[in-house]
Amino acid sequence: MPVASDVSRRAFLGTGLGTGALAAKLPDSWGPLKGAPVIDAHDHMSHHSRSTWMEDDRKIIDAADRLGIDQLCCSILPPGRPARPESFRECNQMMSEAMKRFPGRILGYCFVNPGWTRDALEEIERCVGDRGFIGIKLYNDYQASEPVVFPVVELAIRLRVPILHHAGHTSWLQQSQPRISDGNHFSELAKRYPEAMIICAHIAGGGDWEWQVKALAGAPSVYLDTSGSVIDEGTVEMAARHLGVERLLFACDGSMTASVGRIRGAQLGETDKRKILSENMQRILGRRVG
Amino acid sequence: MIDVNAYLGHFAFRQLRHNTADGLLKLMDRAGIQRAVVSSAAAITYRNAQSGNEEVTAEVKGRGGRFIPFAVLNPAYAGWRDDLKTCHEQFDMKGVRLYPRWHNYKLSDGACRELVNAAAERGMTISIPLRVEDRRQQSWLVDVPDVDHEEIAVLIRAFPKARFILVSGSGYVNSPLGRQNNGLPANYAIDIALLSAVMASEIGRLLYNLGENRIVFGTGMPFHYPDPALLKVEVLEASPAVKVKILEQNALRWLGL
Repeated sequence: MPVASDVSRRAFLGTGLGTGALAAKLPDSWGPLKGAPVIDAHDHMSHHSRSTWMEDDRKIIDAADRLGIDQLCCSILPPGRPARPESFRECNQMMSEAMKRFPGRILGYCFVNPGWTRDALEEIERCVGDRGFIGIKLYNDYQASEPVVFPVVELAIRLRVPILHHAGHTSWLQQSQPRISDGNHFSELAKRYPEAMIICAHIAGGGDWEWQVKALAGAPSVYLDTSGSVIDEGTVEMAARHLGVERLLFACDGSMTASVGRIRGAQLGETDKRKILSENMQRILGRRVG
Repeated sequence: MIDVNAYLGHFAFRQLRHNTADGLLKLMDRAGIQRAVVSSAAAITYRNAQSGNEEVTAEVKGRGGRFIPFAVLNPAYAGWRDDLKTCHEQFDMKGVRLYPRWHNYKLSDGACRELVNAAAERGMTISIPLRVEDRRQQSWLVDVPDVDHEEIAVLIRAFPKARFILVSGSGYVNSPLGRQNNGLPANYAIDIALLSAVMASEIGRLLYNLGENRIVFGTGMPFHYPDPALLKVEVLEASPAVKVKILEQNALRWLGL
């Protein structure tokens, strides 16, 4: 597995410009991350309907190189939703190809629409069982606590892979995503399936993050990814205080400098940051069957 | 380093940490930021914004020049002319921050134009935060969109001798404000708080389109972590000389210091 350079790793723990100098004076010590791969638990490769998909994929790898991210757990979503089986199968085929283009660097989530139960389950079996995908990605086709999602969760439990679920809680703009899931939906799902590894997506890209953190406080089996474009000071610290650092997973979801900067700026100890950046997701990935 | 985009005081819809002068200074010291343009976060939702300016003045008193205070003025509210005079002459504020969406007026309104003209005649810089909070997370009480780029472009065109700093905005490269040869006077600078430095690299494209003298360092702290802005400069594909301009030299010029 490729390991990012020491210089780029400093992006996470250093205060390169904080010394009053430019990048040449980045601090030398970043001890806690030494040897530990930095894992982005939520990101995306481009759908091939975009004419620039290959260049876009290359750009995210370049950004990861510059920011010291070793592995990116990605999915590909179709441009038209809700996705039909042929559409999500096509996305996963593209994802499989991306995993081959960037071996060890890009890890794949299998995206399905749980409304197509049989097709979704077959696709997950194929992707996780045969193609080496590391988990399942669900979007906003259904709320996480709806019964239609349960067969997918049960299969994820059997395969011992995580489900990364799109999420958000907002007082506005709800009309555009009427079935988006929030912390309450995940809590309800977690009560029914406490052994499932559910990842609530992008705390910094899904609206009222304080609400989301509080809603997840009573669902100890649910993880929270730290991705998103919103760089509100204190987000990571509040999540750590209410949920515990063991439940936080570093992620970018396309917002690369915001997401790395958020972790770097968080007032947490280096041991805690190491868990968020690496160990927690390593532990999840290590549970996979086979 | 000079941060052109910082705040003091409470914000109505979210607790801010590090929002006192002492707290912000600690954050600045940790980040290596020597000076910061500050204005009242409370004045964004106060009916009478001048109360926020008074609070900021009291807070920064005796802080040895680390803070560069700006006045939040609402041209739709009574007494703004007196407030402008007080803020400039008594409070020694170097600029004005405008919140047309939060304060419910248009940049094209006559009173706003009169305020911009009066501030510019005093040599004050006009700062326009395009966003205070991401709209997705706003309280159920308010639904405040970002300031429209086109509306800003019209104002900028009307006051070619004024100095503007646009902060907490994004998407410039696809708007009149960020295009090359856009026909606008070069009387505005843009801060990097919400711009990308990798992938789409809006900072790099704006450096190319607008020139290296018009991009300035801004964090949005304590609303924001300062670290993303610092990191953007670190990973930006630009020469050390350009980075120094972004971090400090450009701000000195745009603030008239």
